[in-house]
Amino acid sequence: MIMERKNILNFIIIFMFSALLIGLLNLDILQSAKFRRLSDNNCIRLIAQSASRGNILDRNQDIIVDNKISYDVMIFPQDPGQLDRVLTNISRILEVEVKNLKIAFKKNFISASVPVAVASNIELKKAILLGEYKNEEPGIIIQSKPLRHYPYGALAAHLIGYVNEIDRWRLTKLEDYGYKTKDIVGFGGVEERYDYYLRQEEGGLSVEVNHRGKIMRVLGFEPPRNGKDIQLTIDLKIQKIAEDNLEGRKGSVILIDPASGEILALANYPNFNPSVFVNKRTSIIASLFNHPDSPLINRSIGSSYPPASVFKLIDACAGLELKKINLSTSFDCQGSTMVGARKFSCWDTHGVQNIFQAIAHSCDVFFYRTGLLLGAQNIHDYALKLGLGRKVGFELGYEASGFIPSPLWRKINKFQNWYNGDTANLAIGQGDCLVTPLQAVNMISVFANGGYLTNPYIVKAVGGVEVWAKKKKLSPVNFKKSTLETISKGLRQVVTDTKGTGNVLADLPVAVAGKTGTAQVAHGATHAWFVGFFPYNKPKFAICVFLENGGPGYTASVVTKQIIKAMNEQGLI
Amino acid sequence: MRNSFFKILVFALIIAILGVLSIYSSTYQKEGGSWQDIYKRQMLWLVIGMACFFLMSRFNYRKLWDANYFIYAAALFFLFLVFVLGIVRLGAQRWLRFAWFNFQPSEFAKLAIIIFLARYFSRKSVNYTSLLSGKFGIFQGIILPFIFVAIPMFLIIEQPDLGSGLMLMLVFVCLLYLTHVRLKYIFVLLATLILPLPFFWHFLRDYQKQRLLVFLNPNIDPLGAGYTVIQSRIAIGSGGFWGRGWLSGTQSQLYFLPESHTDFIFATFSEQWGFLGSSLLILMYYLIIRQGFIIAQRTQDSFGRLLAYGISLLLVLQIFINIAMNLGLAPVVGLPLPLMSYGGSSVLVTFIALGILVNIDRTRNVF
Repeated sequence: MIMERKNILNFIIIFMFSALLIGLLNLDILQSAKFRRLSDNNCIRLIAQSASRGNILDRNQDIIVDNKISYDVMIFPQDPGQLDRVLTNISRILEVEVKNLKIAFKKNFISASVPVAVASNIELKKAILLGEYKNEEPGIIIQSKPLRHYPYGALAAHLIGYVNEIDRWRLTKLEDYGYKTKDIVGFGGVEERYDYYLRQEEGGLSVEVNHRGKIMRVLGFEPPRNGKDIQLTIDLKIQKIAEDNLEGRKGSVILIDPASGEILALANYPNFNPSVFVNKRTSIIASLFNHPDSPLINRSIGSSYPPASVFKLIDACAGLELKKINLSTSFDCQGSTMVGARKFSCWDTHGVQNIFQAIAHSCDVFFYRTGLLLGAQNIHDYALKLGLGRKVGFELGYEASGFIPSPLWRKINKFQNWYNGDTANLAIGQGDCLVTPLQAVNMISVFANGGYLTNPYIVKAVGGVEVWAKKKKLSPVNFKKSTLETISKGLRQVVTDTKGTGNVLADLPVAVAGKTGTAQVAHGATHAWFVGFFPYNKPKFAICVFLENGGPGYTASVVTKQIIKAMNEQGLI
Repeated sequence: MRNSFFKILVFALIIAILGVLSIYSSTYQKEGGSWQDIYKRQMLWLVIGMACFFLMSRFNYRKLWDANYFIYAAALFFLFLVFVLGIVRLGAQRWLRFAWFNFQPSEFAKLAIIIFLARYFSRKSVNYTSLLSGKFGIFQGIILPFIFVAIPMFLIIEQPDLGSGLMLMLVFVCLLYLTHVRLKYIFVLLATLILPLPFFWHFLRDYQKQRLLVFLNPNIDPLGAGYTVIQSRIAIGSGGFWGRGWLSGTQSQLYFLPESHTDFIFATFSEQWGFLGSSLLILMYYLIIRQGFIIAQRTQDSFGRLLAYGISLLLVLQIFINIAMNLGLAPVVGLPLPLMSYGGSSVLVTFIALGILVNIDRTRNVF
């Protein structure tokens, strides 16, 4: 009997060992790949190393926007008991509630192998304290991360734009270019347009850690790459002057170099401080989006307004070019003129006016008559020749095209006939006519640079490589020299003539030429325009000051005067 | 005779050396002097164990027959001592502190019980040459030896060391099976042991319950009780066929695998040496045990035979349960892998047991 029993036992033992071998076979051979992956997940961690986004510089390489190091607290995911303890200790050091850290942990958790940010942008002092605590708790990582820093606050905010987490719309568009969820991308201005160059490439370490998250050795390293610096054509000093003088008035100021189209300053008000997006000040951000004056809109290029008297230069050009008027043509301004059965009034009674006087005094009657001689189509064509009614092709996005009406347009779109009264209205830049401040300054540059329509640009160099030469594009308008000279002279008289609308600028040490405009609007005060260039003899700057509901053109002239005065005082002219 | 001596010695030595290598690989990266020294201590124990092996192989095992009651009493005494003075480590009170080492009486108790049972069932009547056990009724055949086993077993389970306790019970049942005790009685014993199990559930410690539940499904508590099993399976599985190589196992060396130098040393070994190494290891264990059974079969002396069976069964059950729990095929119980796991008591007792085994083979012709 014992023989049988021991044989059975022998079989049982062989069976047991076979079972072990089968179990081993199952793990080692059949499921080997799965367990190898799990093993790697256990001990391999990826630590992102952030690079900084490219700086934005002005034309003299002075920094407009750069980056500042901020400190984030990240922890490796670990078992829940430990996590609670670690978070409690972190919260004690940071003096924040554990609850918030837990919420942040849940929100930012990606996978077990990637550290999770629980607090961001902490003070240096607390970062050092936590760094000491790290000895006890190796799973904590204090990561320094460059954050956008705006040393001048809201300065040039519309030109620069802001940075924020990528939105769904941009992500779908940019996914193919390597953009990922939670990437920080530019919104508006240079930040958006040149995001591809500005954006940094995150590097990373893949490290082997032990069960407590302590780094044992580095397996691989991908160095982070900083974004490229963008040098703008903006002159920081001029920009500051422009913004200081615009402060508090809704509107925009643009200064460009008429010879090249370089934008030297572009200011808008109301503006915003882009740092609120970096610091995630949600209430301020919400108020920016809901503000009735839309502070996020770049008025200089994104909004168009009736050009009013500024438009008279178009009539003058067209009249001279098409020989409808000449230097000896004059019209008698008796305060009004009859167009058909309707009386069109002038803003003043100017008496007999030739073209110089008409420009200087901004006489409506002269230009009603000139306009009627030209006809609406000619005015429309010349407006387009001078860059109005179509996009300038400015490199930053969200440009408005403005609008110049024509009889054909009206017929097609409104099923209405065009009357002489409409021509007269168009001639003084009222009615449906709309112009952006950028178009206005572009137009006035033609008279400053001797007949070339510029293509304004703002980026001078990308990553140290000069790119402005490709952007500089001057297209000749092919006007007679005499036409340009005549109008320039008229523009100068606007200032020098004692009754000129821009006479307030006469006592500046710099010779200024320009044209004011006062645009009637349906509601509220008139818009004030001043477009001009200086110094008159050798123009280096073309300027457009536009004040939304700012009153008569005189107020724009005053702002212009203050800007030029400040520039002169700082030796910028 | 020489044959079995050398086979057992060589396999045991190879396994023990692999054990030292595995202990070294799992601890050399840990900071602190005590960790660095662990493999050296194990080597020392190995040397002492070898000495015991040679000693026991020369020491006539029949003397154990006479010393039996003393051994049994000593085992009980030490188990009581653990109860009173024992060091609490890892939530269990299993060790006695001696001069420079910790002594685990339950390891010795296992051997002592086997010696006791072998003697009990190999008694002969004074005037009759056949074994008494064939005539045992249920009291003498089952209940009385059960009481003798149950006392130390209870003390061990109370330490708490459920694994060792249950293993003793299994060895007892297997030995009953190998003696002349009637099958009927054995089934009665099994029935009385198994039927009240649901009732015993309430007496289990929380962590013991948890381990059993986790065995049924390790994923119910991946970071708690199931953690060890999951990590152990990952370690073994990631080894693949060839293994990750000596000192290249991330699971054991970066401490994802707890107890990587004691109860889960098989996973440590398997991660580094893969299927190839592990199956060879299992084969060597089998060959040792096979030697034990061969020795048992050719021994005429019934005490020697039962002792050889008992020792082999002790090894088989420990090896099987330990490797099975490493593979996730058995619940996690605190059983070391004989010859490999770190622990002086286990190494010592295993070598003593193997020495006895060799000695049984050496002296079998005397009777």
